[in-house]
Amino acid sequence: MRALLIDDSRAIRRIIGDIMKSLGFEITEAIHGLDGLAKLEEFGIPDIVLVDWNMPEMNGLDFIKAVRADPKYVDLPLMMVTTETEMERLAMAFVAGVNEYVMKPFDKAMLVEKLEILGIGAAS
Amino acid sequence: MIASRQLCTFLLDGHLFGVDAQTVQEVIRYQEMTRVPKAPAAVSGLINLRGQIVTAIDLRTRLGMKPRENGKRPMNVVVRSDDGAVSLLVDQIGDVIAVDVENFEAPPDTLQGPSRELVQGAYKLNGRLLLLLNCAEAVQLVTE
Amino acid sequence: MSFDDAELMKEFVVESQEHLADVENQLLTLESQGDSMDVGLVNKVFRAVHSIKGAAGFMGLETLGGLAHRAEEVLNKLRTNELRPTSLVINTLLRAADQLKALLDQIETSNQMDVTPHLVALQSIMAGEEAATTTAVAIEPTSENTKFEIGISSEALREFLIESFDNLEQAERDLLALERQPGADDLLNSVFRSIHTIKGSAGFLGYLKAEKLTHAAESVLGSIRSGNFPFDESVSERMFTTIDAVRRILHSIESEGHEGADVTGELATQMEEFLQEKLSETPTKVPKRGRSTRKSASSKKAPVAAVTSSKEPTESVEARRAQPDPEVIVTPVKPTPVQANSPKIETAQAPEAAPKAPTPTRISPAPAGSASGSTESSASDSTIRVDVALLDKLMTRVGELVLARNQILQFNSTIDDSALHSAMQRLNLITTELQEGVMKTRMQPIGSVWSKFPRLVRDLATMCEKDVRIEMEGKETELDKTIIEAIKDPLTHLVRNTVDHGIERPEVRAQNGKPTEGCLILRAYHEGGQVNIEICDDGAGLNLGRIKAKAVEKGLMTLEQVARLADRDVGNLIFLPGFSTAEKVSNVSGRGVGMDVVKTNIEKIGGTVDLQSKPGLGTTIKIKIPLTLAIIPALIITSDSDRYAIPQVNLMELVRLEGEESRTSIEWIQGAPVYRLRGRLLPLVYLRNELGIPRDNSAKSEIVNIVVLRADDRQFGLVVDNINDSEEIVVKPLSKQLKNVSVYSGTTIMGDGRVALILDVMGLAQSAHVVTGTKERAVSDSNDRATTNNSNMQTLLVLGVGPSRRFALPIAQVTRLEKLAINKVERADHQEVVQYRGEILPLIRLSDTLGVEPANHPEGLMDVVVYSEDGRSVGLVVDQIVDIVETELINTRPAQRAGLTQSAVINGHVTDLLDLPAVIRMVDPSFFQSTLNV
Repeated sequence: MRALLIDDSRAIRRIIGDIMKSLGFEITEAIHGLDGLAKLEEFGIPDIVLVDWNMPEMNGLDFIKAVRADPKYVDLPLMMVTTETEMERLAMAFVAGVNEYVMKPFDKAMLVEKLEILGIGAAS
Repeated sequence: MIASRQLCTFLLDGHLFGVDAQTVQEVIRYQEMTRVPKAPAAVSGLINLRGQIVTAIDLRTRLGMKPRENGKRPMNVVVRSDDGAVSLLVDQIGDVIAVDVENFEAPPDTLQGPSRELVQGAYKLNGRLLLLLNCAEAVQLVTE
Repeated sequence: MSFDDAELMKEFVVESQEHLADVENQLLTLESQGDSMDVGLVNKVFRAVHSIKGAAGFMGLETLGGLAHRAEEVLNKLRTNELRPTSLVINTLLRAADQLKALLDQIETSNQMDVTPHLVALQSIMAGEEAATTTAVAIEPTSENTKFEIGISSEALREFLIESFDNLEQAERDLLALERQPGADDLLNSVFRSIHTIKGSAGFLGYLKAEKLTHAAESVLGSIRSGNFPFDESVSERMFTTIDAVRRILHSIESEGHEGADVTGELATQMEEFLQEKLSETPTKVPKRGRSTRKSASSKKAPVAAVTSSKEPTESVEARRAQPDPEVIVTPVKPTPVQANSPKIETAQAPEAAPKAPTPTRISPAPAGSASGSTESSASDSTIRVDVALLDKLMTRVGELVLARNQILQFNSTIDDSALHSAMQRLNLITTELQEGVMKTRMQPIGSVWSKFPRLVRDLATMCEKDVRIEMEGKETELDKTIIEAIKDPLTHLVRNTVDHGIERPEVRAQNGKPTEGCLILRAYHEGGQVNIEICDDGAGLNLGRIKAKAVEKGLMTLEQVARLADRDVGNLIFLPGFSTAEKVSNVSGRGVGMDVVKTNIEKIGGTVDLQSKPGLGTTIKIKIPLTLAIIPALIITSDSDRYAIPQVNLMELVRLEGEESRTSIEWIQGAPVYRLRGRLLPLVYLRNELGIPRDNSAKSEIVNIVVLRADDRQFGLVVDNINDSEEIVVKPLSKQLKNVSVYSGTTIMGDGRVALILDVMGLAQSAHVVTGTKERAVSDSNDRATTNNSNMQTLLVLGVGPSRRFALPIAQVTRLEKLAINKVERADHQEVVQYRGEILPLIRLSDTLGVEPANHPEGLMDVVVYSEDGRSVGLVVDQIVDIVETELINTRPAQRAGLTQSAVINGHVTDLLDLPAVIRMVDPSFFQSTLNV
């Protein structure tokens, strides 16, 4: 299974990437929204996209809007990685079309829970 | 369990010396050296050791002994120092032996001159005296 | 488990532990064997691990088996020579072995134990990465990290640390810039993002203290972003404090594996309280954050001592406007914080009153070097992090490649094959470019070291109640990474020292008519194969008298020694161990870090330090470090059948004297040999002499080889036995034992594998005294009125005028000897002149002046003795330049006519000594009076 990770922090990408890999995912990384869109084009549709909120160039919210505007990504599961401070704006993300959110920091178990909600089984 | 240490031994003007085997990188036969005019007297020259340039120090000179006889070629005991490898020129190589640390003695009073500072102590070995050389001091030719 | 199983298990454990007992020693031996690794030994270790793996599989010991399997993979690669027993590989295997032991010790629960870090580390080695941090750091869960288990990989931890340090630096830079432009949104956002990122990853890794601190800081910044209150001094102070605290935590994590006992909780609480305070202060919320206003009344309880605001703002605003300096990095630090922005914002009319910051450009002291500052957002995909160890390896390989190429080159010259030659050309080109490329990867701009200094200077200045600004020139000057590492500390110490001791307090400066703001200038540039770093200040300079006294007091020198010191050497006394002139060792400069340590550290990398000071005016510390450009072009020469290399950068030209010339062209002046090179006198140095090699009297060679070299601004000729070729050589540093021999600067391995020494041209020059040191005066072609050693010995230039008359004048009066074309002589204003070196040179024919019948006018060229004074020159035309002699003048007679001083017999001839000024005056009375006119 494949996952696209979008976050401007290398350390975070590594940490979340490690968790995903331990769940059996193959990881593609992007450093901001625009890059994320590029990677979608380049590598095709993954099983899940994890996207951060606060990024330069194009933030998470705009990324979600852009993805949802494109018919070929209509079924692509999008999961927002948020922090406490963004919770109050989460509604905006849902309106924009995100499927789920997970609050960081999270661990494997928490992530699995969220993935199951989305009907994505982790190959372990 | 007996506390022992391994020493690499060699001969200098008939005297038996040893250095900590752990400091010894390798032991090789005579190597062609490039002489270094104006270098301190104990520096015999420079050796190319697999691409590494190693300074060769003649221990006889360093210890204030008389020079080797003409024609006799020294062997190289290459030791590790904090500045890289250094080669100690000796007359002949001996075995690597284990000594019992409890048998360590102070250097004999008969030792004079430069030897005095460079010999840390001695071990009795089948009637012979094995002098422990202070490697770090021996390669230190220049006082900072 | 059945009885049999238990027995079996016990046996397995005992046996496995026996296997592992030897493994440790075997691994250590393998490491020390390095390249001469004993494959048999590897096999032993392999077999031990293999059998553990096998048995574990049978007994359902999954964790044990899994780990053993990974270790076995690595060992397999070792024994097939796909891997070498480097420290990294061995360390990882050792740790894996330790873990295996631990698992065996607790065999019943071994399956529940988490060995992920080991697996990851072994996996990394298999994948070819150089995972350098397989430390125990990442493995132990901290006491606070009981929130959950993620099994942090050491890679993730390393990323976190690297990135977080970077982010802290970036935040600092942005804050410094923000202090000068409080309204810059982009800067504020950037700081926010940096802090936010650290918070995020710290949270993931369970570093709660760091998370808490950054969260508090983030909240403050978020509030400012929302416009609740403006960014000001009180905010930036707290931000800096927070950054420092986070940095300490990161360092603690790096070295100890946990966040440390630092009481940061308080700090976080303080931040929260501060935030509350701020929020309650401003009654109205303003959409844009505060621009500075020309507010005369700022009545608020700003926590920081911003008391001066009441009357200052106008002045400061004006001052700011009058003082734009966009080019140079200037971080003005005032001891009393001048409130150019009042925390209280009144109305929206503020903007027009706001002074336009000189240039709203982003002021970041350090360029985005490869290791620092390049934030992810800026096309980070075009950069890549590489382990320095890997680059070192590459460098070594390239060096070996050059050696191998040199070896092949030797064959190239003996074999006559054009295809071979052109292939060699290509190989040459590629090697050179490769070498340059690899070298570049390790080069970093010195700015990456300097980037910390603005902040440092600011803090120090505040602490010392001084006013210091720092300027940096040449921060893009590149140095090898290892040098950068080595000079970090010495430079930091010197900067601290300058602020602490060098620059005076504002009152003192004002008293002495200096601007209250002290200036510290850092300068870096390449010159002559070295990197020069200067630290200049306009402070008080050194108190030479006090230094001398201190030196004597500390027993470092005797009174007599100190008295004999030249002023320029006194400064360097402070580098002696045991020296410290500060009245009190302030905790600013640090305890125990003396100037002598600075000097030692710099000398360790082959550099030199020199200190010059002018009391009352300032001090300049100059550091010179050789570039470790490992490969340089050099000329190979031979002396007494030993080869030596001379760096091309010092080489001016080669002169070869044969036969007659070799005997006559070398002259002796004041006991020193010289050669006349196109009219200039070149001092000669015999290499054999300098090296203490006896002259080879048997082979009376007809050939003299002179290598003309340049050291600083002096030139000299080095006489060698033979000149070989030019080659590119790999420079290896001198070993400790040889460092003090001044005539060598390094060693190299020649194409045939033999070692050769590289000559230090300056060292040679100094040891041969051809460079003005302290003793003998260099023999030069300048117009100095040389005094003679012996009162009667004189060096005279003997001239021939007419068929048989001899004249002489002191060589010191001669500027140059020339041969000029006769047909170039022109007449101008009753005077013969010739165009010479872009000037018009008046000519005086000695034959005319002295009433001597000239010799037959020769065709072509004429001998001219050029005399210069005060920028004016005149040429004396003679018929012959006979000789330069050193002679004692005896049996002299007073002169018979004007223009002469006396007559003497020189070399058997009656010779008249010229009174040159008189002769000139006879022809042109105005010569000595008029100012420069030629």
